[in-house]
Amino acid sequence: MKISYNWLQSFFEKKLPVPDKLADLLTFHSFEVEEIKKCDKDWILDIDILPNRSHDCLSHQGIAREISAILKYPFKLIDYKKKIKESKELASKVVNIKIEDKNLCPRYTSRVVVDVEIGPSPKWIQERLMTCGLKPINNVVDIANYVMLETGQPMHAFDADKIKGNKLIVRRAKKGEKMVSLDDEKYDLDENILVIADEKDPICIAGIKGGINPGIDGKTKRIILEAANFNPLIIRQSSKKIDLKTDASWRFENGLDSNLAQEAMNMCAYLIQEIANGMVLKGMIDLYQEKKQVKIVNLDTFKVRNLLGINIPDKEIIDILKRLDFKVKGIKDKLQVIIPTRRLDISIPEDLIEEIGRIYGFEKIPNQLPSAILIPSKKSEDLIYQNKVKDILINLGFSEAYNYSLVSNKESIELANPVSQEQKYLRSSLMPLLIKNIEDNKRYFENVRLFEIGKVFHLDKHQAQVVEKKKLASIISLDEKDKNSQEFYRLKGVVDSFLNKIGISDIWYDDAITENRKAEIKVGNELLGWVGEIKSKVVGFEIDFDKLVQLATEERIYATPSKYPAIVRDISMLVDYTTKVVEVLNLINKVGGILVRDVDLFDIYKGKNIPDSKKNLAFHIIFQSDDRTLVDKEVNELQDIIITALEKEGGWEVRKQNA
Amino acid sequence: MPNQIKQKAIEEITQANDLKKLEEIYRTYIGRKGKLTEVLRSLKDLSEKERKEKGKIANQIKQEISQMIKDKEQKILSKKDVNDNREWIDITAPGIKIPQGHLHPITLVQRQVEDIFQSMGFSVLDGPEVETEYYNFDTLNVPKDHPARDMWDTFWLKDLNLLLRTHTSPMQARYMEKNNPPLRIIIPGRCFRYEATDSTHDVQFNQFEGLMVGENISVSNLKAIIEEFFKQFFNSSDIKVRLRPSYFPFVEPGFEVDIKRKDGDWLEIMGAGMVHPNVFKAAGYVKEWQGFAFGMGMDRLAMIKYQIDDIRLFYKMI
Repeated sequence: MKISYNWLQSFFEKKLPVPDKLADLLTFHSFEVEEIKKCDKDWILDIDILPNRSHDCLSHQGIAREISAILKYPFKLIDYKKKIKESKELASKVVNIKIEDKNLCPRYTSRVVVDVEIGPSPKWIQERLMTCGLKPINNVVDIANYVMLETGQPMHAFDADKIKGNKLIVRRAKKGEKMVSLDDEKYDLDENILVIADEKDPICIAGIKGGINPGIDGKTKRIILEAANFNPLIIRQSSKKIDLKTDASWRFENGLDSNLAQEAMNMCAYLIQEIANGMVLKGMIDLYQEKKQVKIVNLDTFKVRNLLGINIPDKEIIDILKRLDFKVKGIKDKLQVIIPTRRLDISIPEDLIEEIGRIYGFEKIPNQLPSAILIPSKKSEDLIYQNKVKDILINLGFSEAYNYSLVSNKESIELANPVSQEQKYLRSSLMPLLIKNIEDNKRYFENVRLFEIGKVFHLDKHQAQVVEKKKLASIISLDEKDKNSQEFYRLKGVVDSFLNKIGISDIWYDDAITENRKAEIKVGNELLGWVGEIKSKVVGFEIDFDKLVQLATEERIYATPSKYPAIVRDISMLVDYTTKVVEVLNLINKVGGILVRDVDLFDIYKGKNIPDSKKNLAFHIIFQSDDRTLVDKEVNELQDIIITALEKEGGWEVRKQNA
Repeated sequence: MPNQIKQKAIEEITQANDLKKLEEIYRTYIGRKGKLTEVLRSLKDLSEKERKEKGKIANQIKQEISQMIKDKEQKILSKKDVNDNREWIDITAPGIKIPQGHLHPITLVQRQVEDIFQSMGFSVLDGPEVETEYYNFDTLNVPKDHPARDMWDTFWLKDLNLLLRTHTSPMQARYMEKNNPPLRIIIPGRCFRYEATDSTHDVQFNQFEGLMVGENISVSNLKAIIEEFFKQFFNSSDIKVRLRPSYFPFVEPGFEVDIKRKDGDWLEIMGAGMVHPNVFKAAGYVKEWQGFAFGMGMDRLAMIKYQIDDIRLFYKMI
């Protein structure tokens, strides 16, 4: 809110510190002053009032009270009621006010001023309004705004002669009712909106905007003033419904002290009496059924010291509370603090401790490392493995990407309120944006290797729930000259290598998925992800990270290596180009039985001396037993059985065999 | 005199690296006009006794030097032979680069954050990005239908009563529901805000939440922990921390935290405060506890640390 320095000064006899100094004091004890601007002979302080203090500090009075507490300057309000010269005629004869639902309007005060001379407001009012960003209109409207800026209580003025039936009714609007505002906007109303109506129509959207019909103009003579207290929820609801926020709605939405109304009403009537030569009629109409009472909060001064971590004596605590206009009773360290109704934000001891701390000065609180029980710190497995995997991948030449979780292509989960069409859905895979990264990077680099670890989202339709999963995806784009297949195997090698490094070893690739040039990565029966060609010259993989962590952290049993020597035999065979390595492996393992400890593919050859439709595969077969030393004869026999099976069952041509 | 010549010759032979140089040395000392040859020649003017003595020494030296030259010659030749058989390499040429990837700056920051807080006994946790209104707001004492809720511009999911978490704070209640104090945790993670993007705002950002709860945890402890963190983070003992009053519904008192590095300006760096009793209540605590909580943007830390001036660069992979 824009606050005038000179206006603040008007509350005090003592001179205020210079604007910069004052701004600092406010920033460190109350609210952040975002900007100080010179404006003619005045300065504007732009103060960021947060929602917890909007009810009492969106006003010069509120800020002045803060300054009074910080600087120990005496602060006294003017009693305007005494200064009003009331006529004998009763205000209640001019207007009859009714509240239909007192929950929506806990208080409604009104005064009637007659013989008003409408004209421009005096220069000092105009200047202050403009300093605070408001446009002067005429004396009555300007005074109403002026009172709001000073007290925080929004005011409204009606032309009494334009109100039908001399009635003001606070009620919910009816569906189909319409109203044109002072600034000529048309509003369609319904029962979610609170209005002030005369006998026939709504004439004001309560707490938000006045209607044009009973507006003050050059001919206005008799005015009805309103200072009301509306339920913050209904104002918030109305304001959202008609999509309009005003200085008044902002204040009502945050809640206001209902005891503020008469103060503001008297100030407003007095100023109209003095400035517009009006005659204030007798009595203030005041519909106020449940008078708001002061609150009492019990405060243990030990708790103040313990929570703030300072050695502040009781005397100083009490002094600060009094400077804030709280009354303090009680003995020794058990205080009873009486909170004025204007401080809606204070209801528990912690609220008071904040008040004490900030006025005392948070900067005076010393640093003290906590003395705490020694608890070993833990890290979720998930994050541990995330770091491990990232390290492995960067060492394999991959760079880390962070992409948006929001994407433009249709996915199962849509945002209700996207900021743009580009970011409308929650991603279900990391791959699309990695592909885009590759395309963007292609302009600069030939060879790009990227990975990302992040959350993806799916809809569980049966339970209408979101399934959130962490994934790891990686992508390689190739030089034009590279062969796709080469890079495919390299990427598979990357998958093998990093899975091995985190302790997952029995990986196999299942080609069961229908898509061409793609394989599922499996560990036992568990599906871990997929690896494959994404498009020409681009290969990648995506892995379920949660599953990865689960597999990596499973308890593993240590298997003693065999004490007996292993014997290695190489075998090489000519197979059809489309024969899968896994078929050969399976057959060797099947016929070899328990003595075949491991089979490693060490070469795939295609080219010279090999027909185009064929390829050559070469394996090491490792034979070993846990309970004896194998002899050559035994191994040779087993080798022969394997060769026979490969030739007969597999139909492959075994090429050579070396001992 | 011959001994001086010998010393000098040995020195030169040792330093010689090629055959050409050796030949030069031979000529200088042993050749027809060489220094030793001249010494030998000059002997003829001496008496026979002297001639015999000195001649003997000079001849010995001559032999020694020519032997040394021969040896060195062999050495150079043998070296050259081996080299000739191998591919020639220029050891001054630059090495072949092994492809090396790099981590994202936010990951670098996150790791440092995790390490520093772990060293101070904080456990590190992860939490969901899609949240319920209950954990994102209700358990955090953010009143329904109150302007305070407008402090967090929220993305809602269509047809689902769910939202994208606007901060890492929902994990406070999620964790405290299952764990009793004393506790010390941090939660790094991605958060979302429904807002227009510019150089310092984006629809997503990375935050980490800190929470410490015990019997007597105070504002003074919060200040000390934050200062210790920044000292380690910026690897400097010259870090100042100050608190300003602020408002977040889940803390009371609430603060903005500013830091100042050596010769730098004050920077607004995070929000913090003492956990509001209603947050403890929502988590099911009956006993009275005290604790602090804070939330810091890792994007902002990375921007400061690596002098990046546009937050949107974090999501561009170039």
